[in-house]
Amino acid sequence: MSPEIIRLIVQSTLDTLTMVAVAAGIGTLLGLPLGVFLATSKRGELFAAPAANALLGVLVNATRSTPFIILVVAIIPFTRLLAGTSIGTAAAIVPLTVASTPFIARLIEGAVREVDQGLVEAARAMGATPVQIVRKVLVPEALPAIVLGLTLAVVSLIGFSAMVGAVGGGGLGDLGIRYGYQRFMPDVMATVVAVLIVLVQLVQSFGDRLARRLNKRLRHA
Amino acid sequence: MNAPVKPGAVSAGALLIPLPDPAIRFEQVGKTYPGRRGQQPVAALAGIDLDVPAGSILGVIGRSGAGKSTLIRLVNGLERATSGRILIEGEDVTGLNEAGWRRQRRQIGMIFQHFNLLSSRTVFDNVALPLEIAGTPRAAIAAKVERLLALVGLADKSARYPSELSGGQKQRVGIARALATDPKVLLCDEATSALDPETTRSILALLRQVNRELGITILLITHEIPVIKEICDRVAVIEGGRIVEQGETFSVFTDPQHPTTARFVEAVTGVEVPAHLEGQIRAEARDGDSLVLRITFTGENATAPVISRLSSVVGVDVNILAGRIDAIAGQPFGSLLVSVPSRLPESDAVLGALKSLGLKAEVIGHVS
Repeated sequence: MSPEIIRLIVQSTLDTLTMVAVAAGIGTLLGLPLGVFLATSKRGELFAAPAANALLGVLVNATRSTPFIILVVAIIPFTRLLAGTSIGTAAAIVPLTVASTPFIARLIEGAVREVDQGLVEAARAMGATPVQIVRKVLVPEALPAIVLGLTLAVVSLIGFSAMVGAVGGGGLGDLGIRYGYQRFMPDVMATVVAVLIVLVQLVQSFGDRLARRLNKRLRHA
Repeated sequence: MNAPVKPGAVSAGALLIPLPDPAIRFEQVGKTYPGRRGQQPVAALAGIDLDVPAGSILGVIGRSGAGKSTLIRLVNGLERATSGRILIEGEDVTGLNEAGWRRQRRQIGMIFQHFNLLSSRTVFDNVALPLEIAGTPRAAIAAKVERLLALVGLADKSARYPSELSGGQKQRVGIARALATDPKVLLCDEATSALDPETTRSILALLRQVNRELGITILLITHEIPVIKEICDRVAVIEGGRIVEQGETFSVFTDPQHPTTARFVEAVTGVEVPAHLEGQIRAEARDGDSLVLRITFTGENATAPVISRLSSVVGVDVNILAGRIDAIAGQPFGSLLVSVPSRLPESDAVLGALKSLGLKAEVIGHVS
């Protein structure tokens, strides 16, 4: 491989990492409160607001049921509004974030719903406010599951980021399509795939380790 | 001038002696859950009248579904009454809003069957939680938590996580946590039901100690009669959402009025007829039969030297079939199954002697 190609691979890897990191970061910032709200706002729950819960539920499902490649194209005006362009790495972050937020929200909702209701009752009996219950009980207790969920979300985002190449998004997926496939350079394709495999492996094992460290329900040696 | 009569005041002639307010008072309290679509509303509790005297331990016993969980949750507003009034130290809490209840709950500790400790927090941080919620400064929290952990005997487990503790230790953490805000009332929701008998005894001893040393009123619910026997000053029996009997533990146990109470207390007071004799006991006497009696000892009579008295004074042989001497709410109580000659006049003499000793004797039947 020429130095030029190696430079391209390094640059694409950095682009992918940037897109995934920013999208996952913003997706978590938005998805965490959304997920907690979805988990606590049904009838009779902490922040009971069944109508808002149902509305947000529909919105989340609508976003999640739209195939990612279609979402990318469908929200181009919105992307242009936010990023000033619809092409390139910065622009690709917009659809990635839009897709990851509801996904992360659902994962966090599931993690929070797994928390023993007895703990919520105990906190209520101590005189805790709903916000205190979320901050001191629900989120800390759900944290190991939240970390596993976010790991899954990041792995999915790495996959999604390959698709934004279709709209000039850059990154490893884009490189693989343009050089590996269209210019028929199997070595580039193989390298791209290898780098993606390594990335996913690293993310997954880091997430697993972190979740295990945070999980105090298991006895540690 | 006529002073307004507070509930619980007793008039002695012209003088009004106000009794101290009970720690908790239920007045005609009812709780009805709205029925699910197309179904009738469900009455979980109805017409509950109950006083928990300040500084006492009151136990509510009932089978699952009798309404005891709902009853205890009415005291700290986790459930709301749909009728009647609840007074805590004389203050009507029935109409409190959620913010009012949050303030109230900081005066009321609660422990649970499954402990409900946060798995993500150490023992220290679990006990600190109610103080954090109340906005106590960090330094004050540390001092308080250390003292509470010493009280419950877990000073050395401060940095451990709940998963590293035994059930009894977890409940001790629960008790320390419940005491963190210096509550006047402690609610125990089946606090020993998940523990083995030995651990149960040690937790009950700790509750008794907390009650005596800190003067905390305890309201507990349980389906285990030994818990009532061990530490409760008073007992209320609940069935089908109603209190069917209440009173001092000793008198309720030794003289139950309601069949449900009788069934509950039988396990700890009655001496059952041993299985090998059960088939042999007949209602009517035959020649040469012996009379089977159940003798019940209560209070100071529990230590009466009945056997020697019967043999020396009446001159009959007494055969002990089964028996037990025990304590109920700290008072001795015993029950003995014996056989004595059933022919006259000895049998009458035996019954007369028992009566003069102040013991209750009941004829179970005849055996050859």
